[in-house]
Amino acid sequence: MYRRCGRSLLVLAISILLVPLAGCWSSNEIEDLALSTGLAMDKGQPAPVEKELEGKGSTYAKRNRVMVTIQVAPIKSKGNQGKDQSGKQSAYMNVSGSGDSIFEIFRQFSIRLDRPVIGHHLKVVVISVDLLRKQSIEQITDFLLRDNNIRPSTLVYLSDGPARETLISKMPGEVPSFHIAGMHRNQSRTSKVLDPVTLTKLDSLTHSRKSFVLQTLVTGGGEIQLSGAGIINGSTGRFIGSLNQEDTESLNWLIGGGDAGPIKAYDRNGQPITYELLSMKSKITPRTEGEQISFKVGIETEGRLIETWDEQAHPTTNEYAEELEEQFEEKLQEKMQNLLRKLQTKYKTDVAGFGQRLAIEKPAVWRKVKDDWDRTFSRSQVTITCKVKITDFGSFTEK
Amino acid sequence: MFTRTDDRITTSQAVVFLTNTVLGAGILTMPRSVTQTTETPDSWLTIFIGGAVILPVILLLVKLSQQFPGQTVFQYAGRIAGKLPGKAICMLLVVYFLVIAGFEIRTLAEVTLFFLLEGTPMWAIVLPFIWLGAYLVGGGINSIARVNQIVFPISMLVLFVSFGVSLRLFDINNLRPVLGEGLLPVFAGLKSSILVYTGCEVILTLVAYMEHPRQAVKAMIGGITIMLAVYLVTIIVVVGGMSVDSVITSTWPTIDLIRSFEVTGFFVERLEFPLMVIWLMQMFCNFCSFFFQSSLGVSQIFNVSYQPVIYGLLPVLFLSTMAPKSLNDLFHLGDAIGMMGIGLFLLVPVLLSLIWLVRVKGLKQHV
Repeated sequence: MYRRCGRSLLVLAISILLVPLAGCWSSNEIEDLALSTGLAMDKGQPAPVEKELEGKGSTYAKRNRVMVTIQVAPIKSKGNQGKDQSGKQSAYMNVSGSGDSIFEIFRQFSIRLDRPVIGHHLKVVVISVDLLRKQSIEQITDFLLRDNNIRPSTLVYLSDGPARETLISKMPGEVPSFHIAGMHRNQSRTSKVLDPVTLTKLDSLTHSRKSFVLQTLVTGGGEIQLSGAGIINGSTGRFIGSLNQEDTESLNWLIGGGDAGPIKAYDRNGQPITYELLSMKSKITPRTEGEQISFKVGIETEGRLIETWDEQAHPTTNEYAEELEEQFEEKLQEKMQNLLRKLQTKYKTDVAGFGQRLAIEKPAVWRKVKDDWDRTFSRSQVTITCKVKITDFGSFTEK
Repeated sequence: MFTRTDDRITTSQAVVFLTNTVLGAGILTMPRSVTQTTETPDSWLTIFIGGAVILPVILLLVKLSQQFPGQTVFQYAGRIAGKLPGKAICMLLVVYFLVIAGFEIRTLAEVTLFFLLEGTPMWAIVLPFIWLGAYLVGGGINSIARVNQIVFPISMLVLFVSFGVSLRLFDINNLRPVLGEGLLPVFAGLKSSILVYTGCEVILTLVAYMEHPRQAVKAMIGGITIMLAVYLVTIIVVVGGMSVDSVITSTWPTIDLIRSFEVTGFFVERLEFPLMVIWLMQMFCNFCSFFFQSSLGVSQIFNVSYQPVIYGLLPVLFLSTMAPKSLNDLFHLGDAIGMMGIGLFLLVPVLLSLIWLVRVKGLKQHV
């Protein structure tokens, strides 16, 4: 009797367990969600659709300080598996809205879309420099760092023009935010691509109150280009100016981030000669004499002569290599001086990690100058020595 | 071998038991709590010194327990300090274990709710864990030790694979300069680095169950060494990967580190999910260990049988879990537990050892 009672109790317990086995409490079908893959932020003004909606009196209490555009992809997960997907249908959809709380704007999208937006798969955030002239980067990324859906691995870029335009692509079937997220893979080909900045990195950069650069996107003809970088001032968090492609490349070499790409110079006959980087090393050494701080920068690179338009035959000898090395060193020096002039004279900001080197090697000195570092940096003396070593001439020799 | 019911654990089981009792939720927040107090990249040094400080404490706990072979603190405290004072001290210990058990389960629930199961009610996460814990604890120390033995290698493997893959973010400059602000910040962080070892009081009962109590010193030092190594690797990898500034502002820095990259082409692209799911098992072991200690305590202090006590403690544990009202409360509770730990250390092993020394060596009494 007692045993039978126990057994039926066991059976009951087991059958109750069958119920929770069927699924997860807070599950969501992925088909019923709108995955946002890209996010663009522009200076505040009502988006075109919003203007019309507001014209009909559909509005809420807000100040237009930022315009947020999200990219939802794919817009249809069911139904377009058919083979005759002739590319007429776009693979993504952009929605814009403006206001003064990014979270609130996100929730406003929810009264316009048919599926809830989730941020788990957000890949890129593009911020227009115009917005960063008015708002600090800390203000506009606060929500992104707090949210539990958005991963801190999301990449952050700036945009010269309106940021929402970077999320538009002409190529059929392509999702622009995936395109942008993949662009940093070209680091192995050129040094004009900076190390991608994730939200985690951005958080540490803004919290440390040091100035830094973010790579800038430019759009034109339906295409996107990584074009230089924008400087964010550490103490204000505002955009203060940009570096062009070539300065960005030099900066990348200076901070030891890039070790690929060409250096092009012109030889005695005025013909282009091009050097391919195989390795690039830089070392910043701080020196202090009393109050005066100075830096010695040593840049060393090895590579090959990859192209020359000089029709005059040059023997593949060490003497010729040395002659070329000198020309490339001169070019490299010139590029570095251009960059330093911009940083020290024009923008008066250190984004190349001089401060970090000083903090590591002379912490006591750093403590004294760190509060006004950008100004101190712009007054310190920087000497650069470049050393180019040509190791080979490729698979083509001349006598 | 698999039907042992004699309530004895081997030396290696004791090592894992201690490790799994201390390594729990702390690892998810430790880089922040330590770095916040040092505010320099030297927090790994702090952890190291914290380990060195905790070592003599461990030795004292073991040596005291070895004087009473086969007896737990709940049994011998009365013999040293007198019946009533002994019971009072032991009750404090039981309350302490109950609070930590609740704290562990609550942290587990908070992390799960925030990152994995948004929308599930708290009780739906907490209750199954508590019930399952009751089932395991009912099996006695041997079952717990065996579960620990199974969980420990798995959780370590997943943790270290996650850390290994995260090395792509590692930048040695984030850990420099070493001692740039001098030694002062290192010692300022000492308090928070000792707190991560809370829970090692279980030694007071663990030694009694060891098959070879003479190896207790070796086993416990082994356990502490493993913990120290895990903590050191954690703080170096997390601070090195995220930098001091980012660690300070992150609520769950260890998870945020793993969330900061995607591994395309790996069998899972996002490692935070395997890590969190596996770490839930680790926190479960943690919880069961404290659950076991408190049930054992109640049953031995009041001389009641062990099984009913387990069920009697279930509602108490649930209350202890649900008591903190917010995440901030929870973190404050974590700090409070650390302070309680230090207080209890002074009250239990130090005081008991002193009384024991005076009575045995001074008054030549037979205790």
